Amino acid sequence: MDQTFLFGVFAAAMLAAWFNGRRVAVALFLAGLILSVADYLHHATDRLNLSF
Amino acid sequence: MTPRLAVTLNALGLYAIALVLLAAFVLQITLSELPCPLCQLQRVAFAALAVGPVLNLRHGPRPSHYGMTLLAALFGLMASGRQILLHILPGDAGYGSAILGAHYYSWAFVGFAAAAAATAAMMLFDRQFGDRDTPRLGTFEKAAMGLIVGLVLANMLNGFAECGPRICPDNPTGYWLFGG
Repeated sequence: MDQTFLFGVFAAAMLAAWFNGRRVAVALFLAGLILSVADYLHHATDRLNLSF
Repeated sequence: MTPRLAVTLNALGLYAIALVLLAAFVLQITLSELPCPLCQLQRVAFAALAVGPVLNLRHGPRPSHYGMTLLAALFGLMASGRQILLHILPGDAGYGSAILGAHYYSWAFVGFAAAAAATAAMMLFDRQFGDRDTPRLGTFEKAAMGLIVGLVLANMLNGFAECGPRICPDNPTGYWLFGG
């Protein structure tokens, strides 16, 4: 569900860009990116057994 | 670099992103391998990569549009890099099949790095930013836009078919829509 929504946000950003809504497109892109990072943090919970 | 050439190269970038999304679909269907949430997020990052070039096509090349593409590439590098680290230990078979010797997420990492490098290289050419007129687009550019929007919407439907109204499991085994 979460990624389905994110695809929808970026598709809407592209359609807004195409139909002359540059500001709307940029706002949708930034909102989508923030939500994507939040979704990434939600899923990236497994501990990495690595040593740097 | 003229604005006209920059627009053409941005359209080529859209075709490259479309090719990646299409290849992911073809491999998903032919190998019957469902994308995990991190894999889906990498596809989301490829969709996000396309917003900057679409803006460049429609409103003319601007540094801010290239900046958006760089941010999307960084997010993609973060998601694919994490998945590489999850499976980097010796003996780990990785997630999904290896294609041409590397897993999807390794190829995605290469793709995002290449996108970041290409975007940075595009930003080196200042002449493309001088003209603020709306570019006149031909069939080549319009088809690129239609193709990428179609593929992102197809990914949206694919995500719904796989997970439905719930959060996707870490290791999906079937499509929610078909009772899996």
